Amino acid sequence: MKTPTPDFLALLRTLLEHKVDFIVVGGVCGVLHGAPVSTFDLDIVHSREAGNLERLMKALEALGARYRTPGHKNVKPSRSHLSSPGHQLLMTTAGPLDLLGTIGKGRAYHDLLGETTELDLDEGWRVRLLDLAALIRIKAETAQEKDKAQLAVLRRTLEEQRKR
Amino acid sequence: MTTTALPQKPSRKARLPADRTHSEDGVDLTLIRWMLSLTPAERLKVLQQNVRSILRLRGENTDS
Repeated sequence: MKTPTPDFLALLRTLLEHKVDFIVVGGVCGVLHGAPVSTFDLDIVHSREAGNLERLMKALEALGARYRTPGHKNVKPSRSHLSSPGHQLLMTTAGPLDLLGTIGKGRAYHDLLGETTELDLDEGWRVRLLDLAALIRIKAETAQEKDKAQLAVLRRTLEEQRKR
Repeated sequence: MTTTALPQKPSRKARLPADRTHSEDGVDLTLIRWMLSLTPAERLKVLQQNVRSILRLRGENTDS
């Protein structure tokens, strides 16, 4: 079976077209801030308000989203899954998409909003992402072994940004 | 009484010139500066190309 190649722009555009309220976090957030790191999935924290869950469900339908976790493959995410603070690890036609109800020490969309920036992505598309300093702080709180090398790159990127 | 000044440790700034290529923890700063010179859309394209290259090198059966 073919694995969809991650297409980050397609994922972001689909979410934006469906007017989903979300914050980009994780590796793609680091890259958008200028960090030379790599990742294979898009991590977002979504608003769990009722209207947003409706829009998110439509976006996921358009992306053919299914769980990618063993034992749940080919299962569609439900509204109740999306309303939970947990992490939904999905595969879509545009690659892996992780929907995070909360990150770090239980921070949800509205807790993070004050530490985000909006960026012009492409042809007028504006995407909201976690500030680099907040990304570093939250990653450091929960850093696993795999995150440590990336944390060093993120910290140096923040230093270089501040020199500009 | 005379005092002898101890040798001064070079300042952090003197030891770490602005044009250094790597940080003390081994991060390649030239890559960071290059990425910062790009627009966010261009940075995303770089990531996209990296991912495609890695998947090709791994010989994964992808849709591209």
